[in-house]
Amino acid sequence: MVRVNILIAGIGGQGVVTAGRIIAEAGVYSNVKVLTSETHGLSQRGGAVNIHVRIGDVNSPLIPLGKADYLVGLEATEVLRNLNYANKNTEIIINEYISRPVLPKIRPLSLDKILDKLKDLKVHVINAEEIAIKAGNPLAANAAILGYLYSLGAFPGIEEESFIKALRTESNIKAFKMAQSIVKVKSL
Amino acid sequence: MIQISSQKRVLLGNEAIAYGALSAGVGIATSYPGTPASEILETLEKHNIYTEWSTNEKVAFETAYGAAMMGAFALTSMKHVGLNVAADPLMSSSYTGVEGAFVIVTGDDPSMWSSQNEQDNRYYGLHALIPVLEPYDPQSAYQLIIEAFKLSDRVKHPVLFKTTTRVSHTREPVELRPPSKPILGKFIKNPKKYVLVPENARRNRIEQLKRWDMIQEEVEKLNELIDEGSKDLIIASGISYGYVVDALKEFDIKANVLKISTPVPVPKKLVIEAVSKADRVLIVEEGGPVVEYQIKDILYDEGIRVELHGKDLITRVGEMTPDKVYYAFSKFFSIDIITDYLQVPQDTPPRPPAFCPGCPHRSSFIDLKKAVVMASLRPDDVFFSGDIGCYTLGLNPPFEEIDSTTDMGSSIGLANGVYRATQKIPIAIIGDSTFFHTGLPALANAVYYKTPMLVFVLDNRTTAMTGEQPSPSKKIEIGDVAKGLGVKYVKYIDPFDTNTSIKVLSDALKWVKENKEPAVVIAKRACALLVTRSLREYELPKAVVDLNRCTGCSICYDYFTCPAIIPRPDKKAEIDPLTCIGCGACVQICPFKAISIKGEKPEKWDELWLG
Repeated sequence: MVRVNILIAGIGGQGVVTAGRIIAEAGVYSNVKVLTSETHGLSQRGGAVNIHVRIGDVNSPLIPLGKADYLVGLEATEVLRNLNYANKNTEIIINEYISRPVLPKIRPLSLDKILDKLKDLKVHVINAEEIAIKAGNPLAANAAILGYLYSLGAFPGIEEESFIKALRTESNIKAFKMAQSIVKVKSL
Repeated sequence: MIQISSQKRVLLGNEAIAYGALSAGVGIATSYPGTPASEILETLEKHNIYTEWSTNEKVAFETAYGAAMMGAFALTSMKHVGLNVAADPLMSSSYTGVEGAFVIVTGDDPSMWSSQNEQDNRYYGLHALIPVLEPYDPQSAYQLIIEAFKLSDRVKHPVLFKTTTRVSHTREPVELRPPSKPILGKFIKNPKKYVLVPENARRNRIEQLKRWDMIQEEVEKLNELIDEGSKDLIIASGISYGYVVDALKEFDIKANVLKISTPVPVPKKLVIEAVSKADRVLIVEEGGPVVEYQIKDILYDEGIRVELHGKDLITRVGEMTPDKVYYAFSKFFSIDIITDYLQVPQDTPPRPPAFCPGCPHRSSFIDLKKAVVMASLRPDDVFFSGDIGCYTLGLNPPFEEIDSTTDMGSSIGLANGVYRATQKIPIAIIGDSTFFHTGLPALANAVYYKTPMLVFVLDNRTTAMTGEQPSPSKKIEIGDVAKGLGVKYVKYIDPFDTNTSIKVLSDALKWVKENKEPAVVIAKRACALLVTRSLREYELPKAVVDLNRCTGCSICYDYFTCPAIIPRPDKKAEIDPLTCIGCGACVQICPFKAISIKGEKPEKWDELWLG
């Protein structure tokens, strides 16, 4: 049976947990087993968070090291922090958004520096915020990322209708659909 | 929580526990907030049963215990370290038993995602003679909590239900049954059972052990042997079961699996049956060797000798992961498991959690540091005794104003000891919910023994870190409490009013120095998340930087560190309008008056922040 592992990383408050909930809900509408494992509590306060999403024949919540089929960064730096879940064949989806860690004197890495560290890997760069704003809500960036993942075939057995039901708001659905049309913007 | 059909819903493990309890007939539920257990009561309080967020875990435990003495079906839930606070009544409850059903949910946090330790609360079961049930996913949590109520009701004994972060915070579709009618109690007086004077306690001790014998019989049917006809046996407890099943499939290995849902006590007969069929045994469990020790004990008594592995192949450190199971399998089954993964670049900048935009704690720490200097003290010569809450983040730069955080309420207690050992006046920093939780007895102690210290209460009107549960501070004024306890110097500040706050805090420190007794200053301003949640429908004001005035001095982003203030390439500051909530705290911080607030304050703005 198929099994897909997706690790979604980001910063507390970006809608990382919500993205997982949307996939889990869409899974149930299509009768596909989805397990998601979330970060709660103190770490959510602007810190680095991730969720493990496992689809199909799975009984345990965490993705083994190197076994993510998709590694997603709602914030670009967070892809690096979770790189040990990826192998050289993992599809890496990077949102162009970079957030400065809230510590004095710490400067963020630039997107070019981040991409430089991911040379020879399967990297997709998308500007989810831009899509979200066009869709009418800057908070719909996570929905845009889900739409892009959908177009890559990351959710076997889960129909688009199920996502639309799970996405609920008009701007979410719009961002989801818009992101599907920008297939592989920038593959390194 | 999403309704799929009348039967199947996508639920978080904690929601599944709550729904299971409702199906079992829970009538009374209590808790004190704590990750990873908080969502259990958050779910239950939406239903038509009596629920309360108690002032601490001991009170929560006793409220549920008292209800179960009257015959109710009662549940209390708390994080693992919360059970330490409730350990006193826990021990007693095992001696008295109950009339109804009493289930104690402990949310353990291996890997310490949001906790000070990773204690394994299954040991409480062995210590107190209380059975421990442990699920492996949300679906099994739903079913097993129902079994926990049944077991408690049958044996008239408390039952511990142990979940962990990964069970509590995993989401999956769960098959549900409809809720049952809540079971409440009837008035029962039975002093011979419930008054633990020596005469009664000695009789109860004998009864307790009789119940323990019954429990050992009862747990047999809650566990399962999956017999594949193999001579290799894996014994897996709780969440380890899911990892074992997935790893067996992954590497196409055939082995018998004993799935343990009651790690305390382990099912003796089933263990003997399973091990008798095996040549080699691997015990996979998270945390301490709780199952392993019991099984070794049984096998010794039965004269059974087999090759047995457990904690020699599975570390005690951290939560269970697939990779830990892979390592144990590679040794136990002598197979090569090559994990090919990429390395995290070493120069990835750290991103610890941070105070939110508009957080009053950020301003409180800035004010406090200046006040220390104003009182002719050096910050590195003052002991900042911290406590548990979002304000523990005051540990991080640029604040560095937390020198200890060990347990709830410890700020004032440890400050007592720091002063006695050094004669230097410490500053105890404690939140409002924590103040009521266990700060009160320590403050009474400081008053009684005249311990010179400044108690700085950060009253943000809620139990913020765990998700904005209510705090007694909304109905009981902390200043009145402190005065009632005999504190002579009690003042309030608004931490955003920087100049006044610095003056009040430094005056308080000087007063403590002169009078050699405790003073209390309360920083009263609501949690920004609490405020913005009430204003979702409103357009919030925004801070803006006048780039002509901004000199690029970096104070706002390197010293004040609001996440909404971003340094530009020319070092001047700009405000991210999506992150800024217009709280205005940064306005006073800029020495060049370059920051101002644009836009209208929503109705009730001041009341929400300061009410």
